[in-house]
Amino acid sequence: MIYFPILFVFIPVLSSLLVYLIHRRWAAKLLFVSQSAMIVLFILYAQYVIDHPDLTLLVFGGWDSLFAISFYNDGLSLGFIGLSVIMWFILLIYTYKTNRDENKFLFFFMFLQGIFLGLIQTNDLFNLFVFLELMTVLITILIAYKKTGPSFKASIFYLLVNTIGAMFFLLGIILIYYVYGTINIQYLADHIHLFSEQGLIKLAYVMMISGLSIKAAFFPLFTWLPKAHGVAQSTISALLSGLIVKGALYMFIRIHMEMFESAHYGLETVMFYIGAVTAIGGVIFALVQKDLKQILAYHTVSQIGIMVMGLSSVADYSYIGGLMHIFNHALFKSLLFLGAGVVIQNYHTKKVSEIRGVMRSMPWTGVLLIVGMLSISGAPLFNGFVSKTLVKYDFKTDDFKMILFTIINIGTVTSFLKFSQILFGQRIQSFIFTDRKQQFAMTLIAILCILIGIFYIPLGSWLLGKDLSYVNIFDVTQWIDYAIYVMAGLLLYRYVIVKDFRPLVRIRNISISFENANYLFILYMVMISIFMFMIV
Amino acid sequence: MNPILSFIILLIGVYGIATSKNIIKSVFCVTIIETATILLFLNLGVYEGGLIPIMNAIGIDIVDPLPQALMITTIVIGSTITSLALMLCIKIFHHYGSIEWKVVLKGDK
Repeated sequence: MIYFPILFVFIPVLSSLLVYLIHRRWAAKLLFVSQSAMIVLFILYAQYVIDHPDLTLLVFGGWDSLFAISFYNDGLSLGFIGLSVIMWFILLIYTYKTNRDENKFLFFFMFLQGIFLGLIQTNDLFNLFVFLELMTVLITILIAYKKTGPSFKASIFYLLVNTIGAMFFLLGIILIYYVYGTINIQYLADHIHLFSEQGLIKLAYVMMISGLSIKAAFFPLFTWLPKAHGVAQSTISALLSGLIVKGALYMFIRIHMEMFESAHYGLETVMFYIGAVTAIGGVIFALVQKDLKQILAYHTVSQIGIMVMGLSSVADYSYIGGLMHIFNHALFKSLLFLGAGVVIQNYHTKKVSEIRGVMRSMPWTGVLLIVGMLSISGAPLFNGFVSKTLVKYDFKTDDFKMILFTIINIGTVTSFLKFSQILFGQRIQSFIFTDRKQQFAMTLIAILCILIGIFYIPLGSWLLGKDLSYVNIFDVTQWIDYAIYVMAGLLLYRYVIVKDFRPLVRIRNISISFENANYLFILYMVMISIFMFMIV
Repeated sequence: MNPILSFIILLIGVYGIATSKNIIKSVFCVTIIETATILLFLNLGVYEGGLIPIMNAIGIDIVDPLPQALMITTIVIGSTITSLALMLCIKIFHHYGSIEWKVVLKGDK
C-alpha cells in the first residue's frame, strides 16, 4: 500500500509507452483499463492515508531522508491526485473518438498524467523543478500538435517564457541549498525560520515565487495563456486551464503557504492585490474578446485571481473557498472548453458573432454549456456559488475588497451573457456531428458540478473536515444578489459591449511581444523584491 | 571561478531575453541563463583540493556530490529544451518565412 504513489506515476507512463509502441486500436482501449485501475488505486490509497496519516512519506533507495528522493502525501495532494485522475479519465473519454488512431497524441497525453502526479507528490524541490520542466516540454508538444503556423508560434512562446520562469525557480532552489544544505521540502518547512532573515533566502523566495507566477499566469505574466488556448485542441485547452495551471497553484500553496509559512514575510496582502488585479485584468480582457476560446482563456486568468484572493485571505473560510474554487474551476472550465470544442467542430468558426442557434441545433450541448455558465458566474445551486461565497467571507467587513469582488462578478456575468448569445437565434443548417462519448464525458462533468453545488455540506465535512453551513443556497438575499449581477451585466452588455467603442477595440488589439513579456517578468520580480526588502 | 562571474553571465542572458528581436537569439539567451545557473550551482559545492566524490572516497576530503548530480539533470533538461525550441524555429521559418518575433507574432490575425 505504501508503494502506491510510485504506481500513480508509472501506470500512466507505462500505458502511454504501450500505446505508442503497439499502435493498434485495442491498445488504445487498454488506456481505459489503466485509468479505471488508477481510480481504484486512488480510492484504496485515500483510505490508507486517512487511516495512517503519518505513514505517507516514501523514501527511495534507502538513503537518509534528508538527501534522498522522496514522495509525500497529505490531504491537499490527495485532493489534487483525485482531481487529476477523474479529469484525465473524462478527457480520455472525450478525446477517444478523434484521437484513437493518433498514437503519438495519446502517448504525450498519458505521459503528462504521470508527470503531473509526480509533481503533486514529490517532496524534493529539485524534483519539483524537473517535473515542472518535463511538463512544459510535453505541453509544448501537445500545443504544437496540430502542426499549423499559429500553433508553432504559441508553443515556442509558451516554451521560452515558462523555461525562463523555471530557470529563476532553479536559481531560488540553489540559493536555498547553499544556505540550508538540503532541498527536502518537509525539512525546510520545519527549519525555514532559522535563516529566514538572511538576504539570500529572501532573494530565493522572490525568485521562486516569480517563477511560479509565470506558470500560474498572474496578471502581467499571463501572456502565454491566451495564445496557447487559442490554438490547442479543446481537450488540451481543458487540460491546460483545468489542471496544468492548477499544478502551478498547488506549488504556490506548497511553497508560499507551507514552506515559507514560519518565515512570516507578510506578503499576504501583496499577493491578495496581485490576485485582485489578475481577476479584474482577466475580466476586462475577456469582455472585449470576440473569439469563443479566447473569452474562456481570459476567464481562466480572472478565476485564478479569485483563487489567489481566497488563498491569501486571513480568514479560514476564505482559504477553504480558494482551495475549493481550484477544484470547482477545474470542473466547470473544462466543461465550457469541451462544449465550445463541440460547437467549434460543428460550426467551423470561433467567432462569437457568427455562431447562432446552438440551442436548436445541439440542445444537449446547449444545456451543458448553460450549466457551465451558471457555475462560473456563481449562480446558486451550482458549484461556483459555494466557493465564491466562501471566498467572499473575509470581505464582509472590508468595503473596498467587496467592491472589487462585485466588479469581478459583474464582469464575469457580462462576458458570459456575451458568450450565451451563441445559444439563441435561428438554427444554421450545417452538418451536425454528435459523438456519444463526447456528450457522455461532458454530462459527467456537469453532474459533478451540480452535485457539488447541492451537496456541499456533507462533502465539506467529509473531505475538508469543515462545516460549510455558512453557505446557504436557500438564502433569498443571495438569489437577489445574483439577479442584480445579471441585471447590471445585461445593462453593461447592452449599452457598452455591443457598441464596441474604440477603447474596447484598442484593448482587444493589445498584443504583448516576447521582449515585453520578459520586461514584465523582470518588473514583476523587482516589484516583489521592493515589497520584500523595503516595505514589509 | 567566482559566483560574480556567473551572476554577470546571468545578467547578460536576462538582457538578451528582454531585447532580442530574433527567435533563435532568444533561445540562445535562455540557454545562457541556464548555463549561468549551472555554473553558479557547481561553484557552491567545489573547493580547491577536494577529491572527486566516487564510492571509496568517503571520509576523505571530497567535494559536495549533490550539486553535480543535480546539474547533470539540469544539463539534460536544458539540451532537451534547446533542441525542441530550435525544432520549433525551423517549423516557424517554414510557415512564416522569417524568425523575427515581430513578423511571426503579427503573422496571421
